[in-house]
Amino acid sequence: MTRILEIDGLTKDYPGGRRALDDVSLHVAPGELLVILGHNGSGKSTLLRCAVRLIDPTAGAVRVAGQDLARLSGTQLRDARRSVAMIFQAANLVRRRSALANVATGSLGRHHDLATAFGWLPREELLFAGTLLDRLGLLHLAHKRADTLSGGEAQRIAIARGLAQRPQVLLADEPVASLDPEAAEDVLVLLRNLATDDQLGVVCVLHQPELALRHAHRVIGLKRGRIMFDAPAVHVRSEAIAALYHSDDDG
Amino acid sequence: MSSVQAARTHLSPDQPSLPRVGLGRVLVRLTATMVGAAVVGQALVVARARPQDLITGASGMADILRRAFPPDLNNLPRALNGVLETFDIALLGTLAAIVLSLPLAVLAAENVTPSRAFYLAARGVIAVTRAVPDLIWALLFVTAVGLGPFPGVLALSVHSIGMLGRLLAENIEDIDMGPVQALTITGASPVQIVTHAILPGLLPSLIGISLYRLDENVRSSTVLGFVGAGGIGFLILTAMNLFQYRQVATLLILMYLLVMLVERLSAAIRNRIR
Repeated sequence: MTRILEIDGLTKDYPGGRRALDDVSLHVAPGELLVILGHNGSGKSTLLRCAVRLIDPTAGAVRVAGQDLARLSGTQLRDARRSVAMIFQAANLVRRRSALANVATGSLGRHHDLATAFGWLPREELLFAGTLLDRLGLLHLAHKRADTLSGGEAQRIAIARGLAQRPQVLLADEPVASLDPEAAEDVLVLLRNLATDDQLGVVCVLHQPELALRHAHRVIGLKRGRIMFDAPAVHVRSEAIAALYHSDDDG
Repeated sequence: MSSVQAARTHLSPDQPSLPRVGLGRVLVRLTATMVGAAVVGQALVVARARPQDLITGASGMADILRRAFPPDLNNLPRALNGVLETFDIALLGTLAAIVLSLPLAVLAAENVTPSRAFYLAARGVIAVTRAVPDLIWALLFVTAVGLGPFPGVLALSVHSIGMLGRLLAENIEDIDMGPVQALTITGASPVQIVTHAILPGLLPSLIGISLYRLDENVRSSTVLGFVGAGGIGFLILTAMNLFQYRQVATLLILMYLLVMLVERLSAAIRNRIR
């Protein structure tokens, strides 16, 4: 099986000695939606943030299409990041720009020229952003300002921005944590479709086990920075999930 | 009153009374009062403040006012040209300062500065340009590039760089870092992150701060002419030196109208965009 993203022995110690990640290894194949489940503080957000080097891991490797992101810096890191898109709990859109312009900013990594440096967006990327919005059924939002969108709309626009990057891997850090159940459902259906239709490797950190079991191809359970289980969604048993959320040190 | 008396009779000599104010505190208060009086006293002496001069000077004042009336409208075109020059000095000075202070503010904002060295350097430039008043900058630039409105433009822009830079840096430090983080991961360059993630959110406060600065700069540019840096101030100085008080009156009225108009307009626009 091909592996589009391969995390190997990732360890992260925070200043003060707390070990947030302890020798975590996992991989994702194109066309696969992998969901990481875990309690608050299990290290699941740290895992994604280390993978794109928003924070630096203490040890380990993050291989995307054969390149180790953990070892790059500067321009090389910037170029390598282009193949990994990431979305967050907050949509993080630029509030005073249109949805279309927000999507098109996902393409900036491919255009390092004077016009984009002065705040312009390439015309062909605005058109590409339009086709992405059309595919996601969001074309009617194109000219709405980002700060007028609902939470679910904003999150799907953020995903479209990630796609404008033309990534091979899509990481999502609790993308539905601040959405109502219906909008959450829409976002997960979209993530799964992007995996199967576009052959992206999708890694999604979630809080809700039932959403994970319903939509994921594979589920990883994380507890105190260690992987407790890694299994196809259909084989994950409810006792395994209960053990993740059952903590024996806090009430 | 009866309760006070009751309390007093209740206090017998062997019961503890309120603790006394310590001698040290009394001395501190006494010294502070004396130092304060001395500071104000020396200021009165050094500034040679003599209220009686106000009374003896009153007739001279009345004389000037009489000689300034009615305002002389013969040189109105020249006076209006001076008004336009004053406004244009302020406009160009403000525009140049906006362009130059933006990159400076990015370097001087703790949350987005590329490095500690850039941060300290930018903060240093802001501190120096702000601390030196625009009139002093004008004096320096008149010496460097000669008389006329252009040294005025230079003086206002240099002083405004510091004023705008500090306010903009504070505004950048308050922005939502979410979009910055999101664009960092898309592989955008630092400059692109500034223009695409930081600037759009900053725009309303940038416009507000700049309009306020233009208002202040129009005020400042009216007196830049006193040191030879053009505008209506230069006309006022010349008319004063030639004792043409009716001419001065016209110029002062026009100056008042200009300052009021710009202040009102700037305030009105700032209210609209809030």
